Amino acid sequence: MLVSALLSSCAKQPDDAIRFGLSSAPISLDPRFATDAASARLNRLLYHRLVDFDDSSRPIPSLASWEALTPVHYRFSLKENGRQFQNSRFQKNKSLSTADVKATYDYILKSENASPHRASISLIRDIRVVDEDTIDFYLDRPDPLFPGYLVIGILPAEAVQSGRKFDRMSMGSGEFSFLDWPEDGLIRLKRRSDNQIFEFIHVGDATVRVLKLLRGEIDLLQNDLPRELVSYLEKQDGHKVVHRGGSNFTYIGFNTQDPVLKIDGVRQAIAYAINRDEIIKYVMGGKTRKANALLPPDHWAGNPSLQAYEYNPGRARELLSKLGYNVDQPLSITYKTSSDPFRIRIATIIQQQLAEVGIKVDLRSYDWATFYGDIKEGRFQMYSLSWVGIKSPDIFRYVFHSTAVPPAGANRGRYNNSKVDQLIEQAEKGVDQAERAEVYRKLQEELLMTLPYVPLWYEEHFYAAASSIDGYTLAVDGNYDGLIYVHRTQ
Amino acid sequence: MLNFLFTRLLSALIVMFGVMCMVFFLIHLVPGDPVDMMLGESARLADREAMRVALGLDQPLLVQLQQYFVNLTQFDLGTSLHSRRPISEMLLERLPATLELAIAALVVAVAIAFPLGVIAAIRKDTLWDRGAMSFSLIGMSIPNFWMGPVLILVFSLWLGWFPVSGRDGIGSLVLPAITLGTALAAVLSRMVRSTLLEVLNEDYIRTARAKGLSESSVVLKHGLRNALLPVITLLGLQLGVLLGGAVITETVFSWPGIGKLTIEAILKRDYPVVQACVLLISLAYVFVNVMTDLVYAWVDPRIRTGGKA
Repeated sequence: MLVSALLSSCAKQPDDAIRFGLSSAPISLDPRFATDAASARLNRLLYHRLVDFDDSSRPIPSLASWEALTPVHYRFSLKENGRQFQNSRFQKNKSLSTADVKATYDYILKSENASPHRASISLIRDIRVVDEDTIDFYLDRPDPLFPGYLVIGILPAEAVQSGRKFDRMSMGSGEFSFLDWPEDGLIRLKRRSDNQIFEFIHVGDATVRVLKLLRGEIDLLQNDLPRELVSYLEKQDGHKVVHRGGSNFTYIGFNTQDPVLKIDGVRQAIAYAINRDEIIKYVMGGKTRKANALLPPDHWAGNPSLQAYEYNPGRARELLSKLGYNVDQPLSITYKTSSDPFRIRIATIIQQQLAEVGIKVDLRSYDWATFYGDIKEGRFQMYSLSWVGIKSPDIFRYVFHSTAVPPAGANRGRYNNSKVDQLIEQAEKGVDQAERAEVYRKLQEELLMTLPYVPLWYEEHFYAAASSIDGYTLAVDGNYDGLIYVHRTQ
Repeated sequence: MLNFLFTRLLSALIVMFGVMCMVFFLIHLVPGDPVDMMLGESARLADREAMRVALGLDQPLLVQLQQYFVNLTQFDLGTSLHSRRPISEMLLERLPATLELAIAALVVAVAIAFPLGVIAAIRKDTLWDRGAMSFSLIGMSIPNFWMGPVLILVFSLWLGWFPVSGRDGIGSLVLPAITLGTALAAVLSRMVRSTLLEVLNEDYIRTARAKGLSESSVVLKHGLRNALLPVITLLGLQLGVLLGGAVITETVFSWPGIGKLTIEAILKRDYPVVQACVLLISLAYVFVNVMTDLVYAWVDPRIRTGGKA
C-alpha cells in the first residue's frame, strides 16, 4: 500500500489544461515553411489567413473578402474581425493590416527564401497596398481558382522584415496564442477567448496514445488509430468516439505506359475484382464512404451521379479471359505501397481479392521517401496512395494532364488522354463556377471510364475523447478548428 | 602511456572521418529526395531548383562533403532542411533525455544483472542457476515494442504508479529504463556468471578459502572484483549503444531522445540532421572505446607496451 501510494505520487496530477494527443510532432510554427499536417493544423489556430473554405470546398472570406477587377487583378478588403495580433514582448496591441499581408506574401515569393509554398502562389506578379484595409494582387495569367491559394497565415510585417524566426514561436492573430514549446513533442497554446490552456502532446505509438487517453493523460485524440483500437475505445466507459465522413481520397494508381496495364480491360478487371464493401465493413469499421472520383460528391465540382465499378468477380474473370489470362495462366502485377502497417494490411487484402480472379500480385512495401521516389519516377505497375486535403479542382491538371508528368506535375502513371486534357483546359477557362463545375463533372466521368486510378474510398475522420470533453466538432479536412469551441464539462 | 593515448586518439579520428564519409554517401545513395518531401509534386521545376540552390543541394556531392567538413571545423553542424532550425540546438535539446535514459537503463541493468549473475555462479547447476538463466533468456527474447506496452498496461493503467509516456519528472523515467535495462541485464548477468565461474576456479580463490575467509568475502571481495574487467568492458560498449538512442523504447514512451530524431531524419531525408546524429553516435562509441582502451592499458601494462612487460 505504502509503495503504491509513493509510486502514485510519481505520476503528475492533471491540471486544467485540455490535452490533445498528436500522432506526429509538429515541425514548425512558421506558416511560410510548415508543410506537415500537424504544423499546418496548429498554424490554423495561431494565424488567420485571407481565405478559407466551406464544407463544399468553395473559397470563402476569412480575413478578407475579394473581387476580381480583371481576370489577372484581384482586390482583397480586410474585414474587422480577427485582426488583433498576439501580444508579446516584441509587440503590443498591434492590428493586422495590408502591410502585413504584403510582407508575408512577398517573403514567400522570393526564391532565395526557399519557401515550400512559393509554388502554389508563383502566378502572383505583383502585390500593391492600396490602403490599410485594401490590397491588390496582380497575376501573370488568369486563374479563377486564385483566391483559394491565399491560405497562408499572416505574420506581422515588422517581424518579417527584421528576420525574426517563427519556427518555435508565434505572433499570429488567430483564435489561439502561443505559450511555449518546452520540448519536442509538447506545445502549449492558450485560447484567446477564455484563456483556456491547451497542451499538444506527441505520442507516436497508437497503442500508447490510446492508453494515455484511458489513463487521463490526454483528453482528446483525432484519427490515425488502427480500426481495432477505435473499436476498443468505443466499448470503454467514460469515453466517446465520434465519426464523420472525410474528403481524403484513397486510390489505386496504374502506370498507363506499362505493357500490361495500358490495356483498358486489365484496369477494368482490377476495378471489378476489388470488393470495397468488404474492406470497408471488416477493416474500416463500416463508416467509410466509397469513392468514385478524386473530389467527393459534396464538393462544389464533385459529381454525385457517377456509376461505380461494383464488385463483380465474374466480370473481372471474363475480361481477363478475353485477354488470355486465367487462374492457370495468371496475370502477374507488382503492387507498391508504403510501409504503414494499415496500408500494408489493406494491400494484402486487395492482393487476395485479385488472386481470386487470377491476378497474381507481388506486393512490395517501402519507406515513404523511397516509395514516393519510385512512383514519381514511374518505377511501378500499380500502387496505392491517398490525396489529402484537396480543396481546389486544379488538382486535375496536376494529376491527369498529359503535360503534368513528374517533375512538372503529379501525373505519375503517365496517363495521356486528349479528351481529358481538353476538358481540364476548358474548365480552367470557364467564366463562372457553375459552368466550370459542369465541365469538371464530365471530366470525372471520363476518368472513371478510362481508369487511370481505381477510386477506393474517402477516409473517415473520428475523434475519441473523455466524456468530460464537449463541444468538439470534426472538420471535413481533419483540421483542429473544433478546439475553438471545445470545453470541459466537469 | 601518452604515446598510447595519442595513437588511440588518432585512430579514433580516422574512424570518425571514415564513418562520416560513408554515411554522407550512403544517405545520398538511398532513393528519395528531401526537396520532394518538402514541396510535393505540385511544385514547379523552377521552384524545386530554387529550393535546391537555397539548401545547397545543387552542388556536387564532393563539394557538399567538403563544405560539411569545413563547417565542422567551426563547430557548425548546419540547419535542418525541414524545420530550418540549427542542428546543434536540436541535438542539445535531445541529449539530456538520451543521457538520462541511458544512465537509468544502465543502473537498472546493473541492479538486476549482478545479483542474478552472482547467485547463478555460486549456486551453479541448481534451481537458482536455472531460474536466473531462464530469466536472462526471457529478458533477451522479449522485444521492447512488446514489453513497453505491457509495462504501461500493468504499472500505468492498472496500478496507476507511473505516467504512460512522455518525459515529465522522475516517475516517467522508470518504465522506459526498465524496458531498456532488462534486455541489457539479461546479457550482463550471463557475462557475470561465466566470468565469475572462471575466477572461482583460480588458485588464489582456493588460497583465500584455505585461509578461512568467509564465503561472501571470497566471492565478493576476491572473486567478483577480478571478474569485473570484461563486464565493465561490456557495460562501456552498451553505454555507447544506449547513447546512440533506443529508437523503439523512445517511440513507445514518447521519449524525446537522439534515436527518434535520427530515424525521423532518415525517413524525411533530412541529410544534415542524419549526419549530425551519426556524428554524435559515433563520437559516443569512439569515446567509450578509447576510455575502455585506456582503462585496460592502465590495469594491464602489457597492453600499452605491446606485450613487452
